[in-house]
Amino acid sequence: MENIIFSQKLYDAAQDVVDGCMGYEAPACQSACPMHTDVKQYVRLAGEGQYADALNVVREKIFLPQTLGRICAHPCEQVCRRNTEFNQPISVAGIKRFIAEQADDKANWDLTVGKDSGKKVAIVGAGPAGAQAAIELRRQGHAVTLFEKLDVYGGMMRVGIPEYRLPRDVIDFEYSYLDMLGVETRFGVEIGKDIPFNELCKQFDSVILAHGAHVGSIIPVEGHQSEGVFPAVEYLKEISKTQAFPKAGKRVMVIGGGDVAMDCARSSWRIGTEAVHQCSLETMETLPASQIEIEESLEEGVLFNAGWGPKRILSENGKVTGIELQKVLSIFDEQGNFAPKYSEECRTVAVDTVIFATGQVVADITDGALEQSRGGRYVVDPQTLATAIPGVYVAGDASGGAIVIQAMALGRKAALSTDRFLNDRELNDGRDFEQEYSYDSRLNVPLPENTENQPRLHGELRDADERKRDFKQVDFGFTPEQVTLEASRCLQCSCKLCMNECVMMNDFGDCPKQLFSDFIETKSMDPLLVYSCNACDQCTIACPKDFPMKEIFLGARVDFVKANGGNSPMPGHKGINMHQKLGFSRFFTMASKG
Amino acid sequence: MAKKIFMPGCSLPSYNPEAVKKTADYLKKVFPDMGAVQKCCGKPTAAIGQAELFKERFGLLQADFDKVGAEEVIVACQSCMGMIKKGAKRQKPVSLWSLLPKIGLPEELRGKAKHSDAVFTIHDSCSTRYEKELQDGIRWILNELGYKTREPKYTRENTRCCGFGGMVVPANPDVATRVIQRRVDEFETDHVVVYCAACRASMMGVGTKSWHILDLLWGPVVMKNDDAPVNVLASPVKAWMNRYKSKASLIKCMNI
Repeated sequence: MENIIFSQKLYDAAQDVVDGCMGYEAPACQSACPMHTDVKQYVRLAGEGQYADALNVVREKIFLPQTLGRICAHPCEQVCRRNTEFNQPISVAGIKRFIAEQADDKANWDLTVGKDSGKKVAIVGAGPAGAQAAIELRRQGHAVTLFEKLDVYGGMMRVGIPEYRLPRDVIDFEYSYLDMLGVETRFGVEIGKDIPFNELCKQFDSVILAHGAHVGSIIPVEGHQSEGVFPAVEYLKEISKTQAFPKAGKRVMVIGGGDVAMDCARSSWRIGTEAVHQCSLETMETLPASQIEIEESLEEGVLFNAGWGPKRILSENGKVTGIELQKVLSIFDEQGNFAPKYSEECRTVAVDTVIFATGQVVADITDGALEQSRGGRYVVDPQTLATAIPGVYVAGDASGGAIVIQAMALGRKAALSTDRFLNDRELNDGRDFEQEYSYDSRLNVPLPENTENQPRLHGELRDADERKRDFKQVDFGFTPEQVTLEASRCLQCSCKLCMNECVMMNDFGDCPKQLFSDFIETKSMDPLLVYSCNACDQCTIACPKDFPMKEIFLGARVDFVKANGGNSPMPGHKGINMHQKLGFSRFFTMASKG
Repeated sequence: MAKKIFMPGCSLPSYNPEAVKKTADYLKKVFPDMGAVQKCCGKPTAAIGQAELFKERFGLLQADFDKVGAEEVIVACQSCMGMIKKGAKRQKPVSLWSLLPKIGLPEELRGKAKHSDAVFTIHDSCSTRYEKELQDGIRWILNELGYKTREPKYTRENTRCCGFGGMVVPANPDVATRVIQRRVDEFETDHVVVYCAACRASMMGVGTKSWHILDLLWGPVVMKNDDAPVNVLASPVKAWMNRYKSKASLIKCMNI
């Protein structure tokens, strides 16, 4: 039946469903991942033993599956339903690492690049942001040159994250993809020193700054200029390169509560330190570091002073001899501003080395051409990462990303802007900014029936006393059996609860959002769909938003009948009219007052 | 007291005119002033989308209600209940199933099945999924009779459709069959009790032994190994003959 005129009321009702139906809403893990990796899908495939397929799903979004499988701060796990309900998130990163170890093969890497655009882009920094930007731009057909100050790939990921967490050969293996895609990398070239920034702008059609935040910041507490005080960046970088830090003593205090602080503390053991302490304004309960890092630090014997801030560094003859700590009462004032308050309670720890893991600052490599703000981050439009200079964009730590996966997303974002710039398109043209970064999932569904708490699995760790003395990897990762079991815990969060209930809608589509989008778009509906609804309301009962699908189907029937000379378009309904006539005929009816 | 009439619906008279007769006779004994109307409520017409024709047809029923001075319509059909609730101008529906607990069962029927070894799964009609009092009434009746019952997983307000609703059977019989098959698959007993003759026909269509609650009320005590009554609704000629018989017995009952 063609050209049915459906009533506006019906279109409005359908639009309501399309706007609110959660059938296609990404689960929390996927929306929290700034690269929107289809976690649910690859976890399921991994659990089914389809490792190559699972890896393909990961590689659709990220080129560093094994790296991230080892070191990602996995925002997906934070919001995992099993975390919010039971505090036992799925080991997403561990599963990712496993499938990458099992199935990654260069022969399968997607080397598709776009037609040569004739445009040249310079990217400063070969960390995750620069690399991701390079990949995106090569796929668009642009020529890409990466300038890397170090003589190795990976940026801060390589010199900031210790080897026992991320073996360097893993980085090199995964980064070889850049070379295969035709990205030219110039190692050992420092922009702002070897080549001035303005020169770079002249030589290239567009520039992306992704050089990270490599300047350590030291809080100017009393005694901070003593010998034996170092920023975390310098400490980790040197340990990364040489597995040693000769300037350090035997008793180390690491100031800070994040993952970088844990890296510094745990690396300290590995360079031969005898005692490792930590202090931070945050208490044990509020430490920003990931739980696993805290646990492994504790296992290795790091002595925590969480909730104690540095008051002053003690020294003799200019050399550090200890640190005085002050108990923290609160970190923020009522307005939420950083304004730590301390009690009178103090404690002194005898140390000869103090490491400040209290944040890194971005160096200006533009010679003042770009404005910088807090922490040296360049001032950019947060949606497009555009700077005040047309064609210059900033990605990664230099623009405010805090973790590797965020840096990658910012790299991709900068590339999307660059590509538009190079094609003379508006920077906002055809973009959904929400999809370019993390967002809160709109999926709001009840826990599946009979969901029970099952503990999260961990890969096998080397014994703490043994592992803390070398740089070999700490975590052996999962066994195939563990992956099967761990993946089986995934709740595969999705809505489509109505589709579990309704037999017939599954014959016609995926979920109401799709069915009614099609209806609105094509201004037509399959009469068989309309006439297959039992009007039983089971879909509405299952729907967390109580959408009344029945009303739309029944409403559409009226329009079908109108367009069909007063009759149902269903051949099978021909008999109904006779049936109804008889049901109202005098022969079969009666009415009596009694 | 409000003027009551009994309206057995369509599928019940087509299925079991004897049950209609006995129900009417019993109600008449309790409410001597009761009248009766046998006519369709027009739901099939509404369901296929013939909005104008439905108005016309429901108007005929409304005229009958008004003619006999009805204020309360005792319905044995859940579709009738919904249509009257929504559409009748001056009457309100009263379900037979919520009425019986109030007036009680004939004394000789109480506990008649207490020695039955059959266990009945209760299937609730989806069109009255939110009518708790009605559902309670069904359970009360079964309990009064002495039958053992079982609730399926999806029951009362969460009950699942028998596949008959929305005139799907003639439009998409394959879907209707899958819907009823899924419904019966969740039952854990061999016997099912329904209170809608169309639900019963759906179940019988896929070989599930089911009884209308009036079969249990007025018919013989059912044992585990008994067969269910024949699926009369599957043969239109017999069904229309039954409907005629039902009409005749109602007229007779009203004229006593």
